[in-house]
Amino acid sequence: MRKTIQSVSVLLLAGLLAAACAAPRPAPTTGGQAAGAKLRIGLVTDTGGVNDKSFNQSAWAGVQKAMAELGAEARFIESKQPTDYEKNIDQFATENYDIIITVGFLMGDSTAAKARQYPNIKFGIVDYAYFPTEGSPSCDQTIKDCYDDGGLKNITSLMFQEDEVGFLAGVVAGGMTQSNVVCSVSGMEIPPVVRFVTGYQNGAKWINPDANALNVYIPSFIDPAKGKETGNSMIDQGCDVVFGVGGNTGNGGLLAAKERGKMAIGVDVDQYETYPEVRDALLTSAAKNVDVAVFDFIKSVKDGVFKAGVNTANLKNGGVGLAPYHDWESRIPDSVKAKVQEAINGLKDGSIKTGY
Amino acid sequence: MKTATIGPAGSRVSFRSQGWITVVVVVAGLLGAWVLLNAVIGGRCDQTCVVGSLAQALRLATPIAFAAFCGVMCERAGVVDIGIEGKMLMSAMTCYAINLFGFQLLRDSMGAEAAGSFSRILAVCLGAGSALLLALLHAVVSIRFKVDQIISGTVINILAIGVTGFMYRAFLAENLPAGPGTFPIISIPVLADLPIVGPILFQQKPLTYVMLLLAFLVQYVLFFTPWGLRTRAVGEHPRAADTLGINVFRVRYVNVLAGGLIAGLGGAWFTLEAVDVFNPLMTNGLGFIGLAAMIFGKWTPFGALAGALIFGLGSSVTSTVSIFRPDIPSQIPQMLPYILTIIVLTGVVGRAIPPAADGQPYEK
Repeated sequence: MRKTIQSVSVLLLAGLLAAACAAPRPAPTTGGQAAGAKLRIGLVTDTGGVNDKSFNQSAWAGVQKAMAELGAEARFIESKQPTDYEKNIDQFATENYDIIITVGFLMGDSTAAKARQYPNIKFGIVDYAYFPTEGSPSCDQTIKDCYDDGGLKNITSLMFQEDEVGFLAGVVAGGMTQSNVVCSVSGMEIPPVVRFVTGYQNGAKWINPDANALNVYIPSFIDPAKGKETGNSMIDQGCDVVFGVGGNTGNGGLLAAKERGKMAIGVDVDQYETYPEVRDALLTSAAKNVDVAVFDFIKSVKDGVFKAGVNTANLKNGGVGLAPYHDWESRIPDSVKAKVQEAINGLKDGSIKTGY
Repeated sequence: MKTATIGPAGSRVSFRSQGWITVVVVVAGLLGAWVLLNAVIGGRCDQTCVVGSLAQALRLATPIAFAAFCGVMCERAGVVDIGIEGKMLMSAMTCYAINLFGFQLLRDSMGAEAAGSFSRILAVCLGAGSALLLALLHAVVSIRFKVDQIISGTVINILAIGVTGFMYRAFLAENLPAGPGTFPIISIPVLADLPIVGPILFQQKPLTYVMLLLAFLVQYVLFFTPWGLRTRAVGEHPRAADTLGINVFRVRYVNVLAGGLIAGLGGAWFTLEAVDVFNPLMTNGLGFIGLAAMIFGKWTPFGALAGALIFGLGSSVTSTVSIFRPDIPSQIPQMLPYILTIIVLTGVVGRAIPPAADGQPYEK
């Protein structure tokens, strides 16, 4: 009897473990093509997961669009921690997926290593560019081009000029602030986040030279409680426009602004749609169209025009931009809106620099 | 000598000396942080800013302290619990869901305000209940079936990540109705108006008060009641306790379950007190930091509270320094809580000895 109970409990435990392990979940496919011709796409998210109300979610939206319009078949795997990245890529690679998309700067090294290991699979990575001059561990400085010369012949980097749209967010913030203090609650100090923050601070000072811009980096993208407390600290210091730049951590900053009756600016996607709780406070969002970039990348593979290298999305090609003002449309003065337009034009023709 | 430390007289003595250490740690931590802060930011943190930082430290210490009390309850009875993180995560998810959907159901019949309060309280109860279920699993597996307690705790952590991740994806990610929000701040009459102390200690949200009361309650139960004596006896030498007629299994079950309830309150903090959203993995390792605070506090509730406060303080000082000194690389202030911990651990606390039977299944 005792032995039976023991073995049953061991089995139960094993079952629990198996149930808890992340397996790629099939998503409903909508394409009507023959199975053999279907493009198979695997998306590996960062720790934020596909419902992060932010760029992982946006990347998955791009993949879903490809499923609907290009008849592709797709799955995603969410990384629970950085050590999962390579494992998750392997999972798709061993099942012979055609395209693997990895989301986030932190996956740069893993993606490069795996792209070399699986030269027949096309990789797309969001937010990471392999420049020899930046001392990337995946390609050395003696070569000219990481992508062709450097052996990463099967990677396209989907980059965004976050500094441009961050600058615009800063112009809105600097124009709206009553206290002349604006602030940002930021995630990990990695290039895309730094670009947003630098642009934001310089944008605020461009429209309002008296503006003081505070910022705190928090080494996590999934810590809304800390984000909110940090937002509170900066509001205590007089900040009245909070820019949340860092997935769920940044969302905590938006919530602090909302609860204290201050203004907030979202990031990555139009957070009016993805984070309705903070609508009252949300002036706009500094959006980067990850979905569009991901879709275009998949389409390039489908059409046979895939090119290894860096694709940069900026204001000029519409890859980044401010989201609508929504509820604040009537409350943002025309003078501020005019300044935003002036900044857009200036950034496009290069007469205004973001300072990044 | 072992019997002396678990005897009633011995325990009072050791508790008293422990109390002194705790006081020294807290005072040293506060003074150290204050001096450091002013030196680094050049005195730009005025009184509002200092009070704000300390109040924030207490808020950030709350989930860590709950986790640490859970650890103290379990480990004093000889059961290692590294599944606190999982229990908090499960409770955080349950609280969020109950708060949200309970509010929808009740709003029409009770009015928004009453429905909000009711659904929050219901959420705390059910959230703690969900953590209790996980604690029961841990208890049965590790006490009844004598599975290695570390493995059982790990299973609970993984299980909680899986279940909450699934529930989030299935029900809590999109198209949600508006929820009633978090607990309001409760100002304690008279005390809240005290200068400095008032805003720090007496203008907080309810779970923070519960945490402070719980520190006294757990301290009292463990060191001044027969149950506490039995608990400690079971944690130190279960064979001897058994010989004296103490039901070792019962003591362990009750303590692990009580710990589960406490961890559940810690989970409730995330979605009912800190923010009104849930996202996967949002407990962010605080359950494990709670275990560190427990060790830091030498397996006593007051000590654990001091440990949690030092982590909370480190965390709030981090943002204060970052705000005033953007020229310092952000990684340096981020190291502060851990540097502070090492200094206090080595310089003030000294050697921490766990209960002798900690982690060992009892074979009758």
